[in-house]
Amino acid sequence: MWGRAKNAKKRALRIYFATDLHGSEVCFRKFLAAARVYEADVIILGGDFAGKAIVPVLAAAGSLRARVGGEDVTVPEADWDQLAAGIGKSGLYPVRMNEAELARLSDDSGELDRLFRSEIAAQMQRWCDLAAERLDPAVRCIITPGNDDPVDADAVLAAHGRVECPELELCDLGPVTMASLGVVPTTPWDTERECTEEELAKQIDEMLGRLPGGRPSILNLHCPPYASGLDDAPELDATLKPVIRGGRPSIVPVGSHAVREAIKRYQPVLGLHGHIHESRGAQKIGRTLCVNPGSDYSSGVLRGVVIDIAQDGSCLDFLLTTG
Amino acid sequence: MTSSSEASVPSGAARAGTSPSTRLFVRQTSGLVRDLGIPAATGISLASVAVVNTFINFNAGLTDFAKADMYLPLVAAAIIWLTAMFAYRYLLRAVPRAGGEYVYLSRIVSPAAGAVAGLGIAVVFTYVLSTNAHFAAQFTPFMLSGLGAAFHSTAVANAGNHLTSNIAIAWLSVVVMLIVAALSLFSVRVVARIIFWLIVLQVLAFVVLIGMLAFNSHADFTSALATYSQHPGAYGAIIAGAKSNGVVFGTSIAAAVAIIPFMVLNYNGVLYSYYVGGELRRPGRTYLYASAISIGVLVVLWVGVWALLRARVGLTFMQAQANLGVVNPDAYAKITSLSSVSGGLGYGMILSGDPITKILFATAVPLAEIAVNLAFLTVTTRVLFAQAFDRLLPVGVAKIGERNHAPNVAIGIVLVIGIGFCFLTSLVNLGSIVALQSLFFALILLAGGIAATMLPIRRADLIETPGMPEDARKQWLRKVTLVGGVTTLLALFTVYELVAHSSVYGKFSWESILTLVIVLGAGPVIYVIARSVRRQRNSLDLTMAMRELPPE
Repeated sequence: MWGRAKNAKKRALRIYFATDLHGSEVCFRKFLAAARVYEADVIILGGDFAGKAIVPVLAAAGSLRARVGGEDVTVPEADWDQLAAGIGKSGLYPVRMNEAELARLSDDSGELDRLFRSEIAAQMQRWCDLAAERLDPAVRCIITPGNDDPVDADAVLAAHGRVECPELELCDLGPVTMASLGVVPTTPWDTERECTEEELAKQIDEMLGRLPGGRPSILNLHCPPYASGLDDAPELDATLKPVIRGGRPSIVPVGSHAVREAIKRYQPVLGLHGHIHESRGAQKIGRTLCVNPGSDYSSGVLRGVVIDIAQDGSCLDFLLTTG
Repeated sequence: MTSSSEASVPSGAARAGTSPSTRLFVRQTSGLVRDLGIPAATGISLASVAVVNTFINFNAGLTDFAKADMYLPLVAAAIIWLTAMFAYRYLLRAVPRAGGEYVYLSRIVSPAAGAVAGLGIAVVFTYVLSTNAHFAAQFTPFMLSGLGAAFHSTAVANAGNHLTSNIAIAWLSVVVMLIVAALSLFSVRVVARIIFWLIVLQVLAFVVLIGMLAFNSHADFTSALATYSQHPGAYGAIIAGAKSNGVVFGTSIAAAVAIIPFMVLNYNGVLYSYYVGGELRRPGRTYLYASAISIGVLVVLWVGVWALLRARVGLTFMQAQANLGVVNPDAYAKITSLSSVSGGLGYGMILSGDPITKILFATAVPLAEIAVNLAFLTVTTRVLFAQAFDRLLPVGVAKIGERNHAPNVAIGIVLVIGIGFCFLTSLVNLGSIVALQSLFFALILLAGGIAATMLPIRRADLIETPGMPEDARKQWLRKVTLVGGVTTLLALFTVYELVAHSSVYGKFSWESILTLVIVLGAGPVIYVIARSVRRQRNSLDLTMAMRELPPE
């Protein structure tokens, strides 16, 4: 598949791609370190950067109380940094509050929604600043959203000079042009960036219609193509409970038909996907190499993929990484 | 963005507390599912155990060990799994996602160890596929005699007599492998349904057998055996024949200890709810309860069945029947046509008076082995996928068929290698196949024990709770190491028993050693070759895939 003839070409671009960090501080730091360790020219974070949960940390009488990992934890107030770092490691947002604030959040979903948005925006700001501080100036850092990321976060990314956020845009990477889209087909969770397959197909077509003819391309689409082996997830019943068949959870393809059709029609050199954490892998659809590096953010493990691109835009080699 | 404060959160995240002061707020994001509770997790564990294999292992134990009794081995093996259960609980807490020893080793010991173990497991599982097919093939004569009895067809019953040679068993194994491969080409949903119904059939056979033993007396059994064998004194004749051929009767502690590895194999699958760790509600607690309940149910069930067998059939007769069929098959055949390897299912067959139960008993083992193999094939292809994605095998191995969405290439590879192993296990004397299987599963258990032992040393961060006082933290980590260490020791004990009784568990012939070297050494060899080939081609270095990324 990757014979001598192909490798006789010289590498013009090395991409490192990771996705679905879901607020994990340790994974984002590893993502930045990946540029140096893998000698990447471009690092791409392909969506679902936002965390999923807030851990209320109750401050009272000089101590802090929280429930972490199913256990009640109480520490002196001076240990806030350590406690917050421990909670943030797996993608949770620690938020200090008192009993009254906690009660208000429990009753007011609007207030809770605002708190989530502000925590996510603050984290994105911190991450962009960290990228500016740690990355070699020659390394490009691209972060595009996924369906779980609030739309407000795009503004934080767009406003920061060190990070690029080419959502729904074409992005020149040298030998190739990359098109990015974080929207996914409708999910049972009614997340922020969802649409029907028809609408998704239309958005992809509009974006790819702007591609210069004959120019090699990369599709950075958060949702993997349907039935590609990169989109296998547990089947859920109407109550969102995993369906068990034959003593095992039933696994079904949940990817996008529109994405598959677009890949078959446009045949980009590369498809970069995420969304389905447990479906790490690589598959060829026609001439296109489609990759989903998967995600193991909750364990603090960064899964990614290193891809070498030749001067003519062809894909030289790839390696799925665990770091 | 909708927000909620529901109880269910994704893998690895903290769980909601009951007290409002310690609740967790979760926003509406993809992947939030209603988790599986204890009943579902218990169902997964029990469905993963091939219950009818108990009879194979009872029979093998009686054949290979003079003076064997099953009470102690059944309980001792349960204790080994109970200890391992705690070790896996910590592993599940550290890596709360679907996976297994391959994933644990790669996370905790090193990615290289995981990759090598993964390749080894893929080869081992392929071998296990062939040994399961071999079991099914060995039971074909019994199945045909049962079906012949059910349909009153001597032609069908006698057909089994022509299928006992090594070459016939080899070809029958191939047929079983082909059936499994063909069924695997359906969608995963259809395959899951097939597995489900095959499990239902074997459980039904098991339950009916318990009923038969419970509602018939010892005299009923003696009489039924005489009728089935068309030999009025068949019961006594078998015992007398065994005595005159030097078969030893009674029980001994040493034999019971030596047989423990067989019984460890018996429980294999009982902890498998950890494979769905990511979907369990309060994973550690749910997993613990589900596994403990499953082990408890199996102990009660199997010890009960063994007690019934002893009471209705008699230990002396079972020892005589299992051994006479091996030491003097001609003498045995003159007394009865009941297959000597059929064990409890054979006893059920002769007690049953209707064709339905005869068919149920006759087909229980082959159908159970097909169910097990279907599940194994899925796991094996997944492990092959992981190796292909790690670039240790060609990426084409993981190709998904566009029409059936099945991993056709991986299934084909497993099938070809599995057929090779079928001929090897049938034609070459590798000692006891059951024992080799026990060895593989003991080694997998050993890998889990090692991963748990090293967890606090290598990846304490995965199990530490933020804010835990230093003394409590040290105590907690010591506890994890201790449980992992005990599991490792018990797994080592099982491996030792297997190796120490090589005369039973596999003679050290050049064929058996070569096979073991191939099976266990395939991982490192493939890794070294893949790395070397990629270096020559100036491709991305494989070690890069396993490089630890510094977060700071």
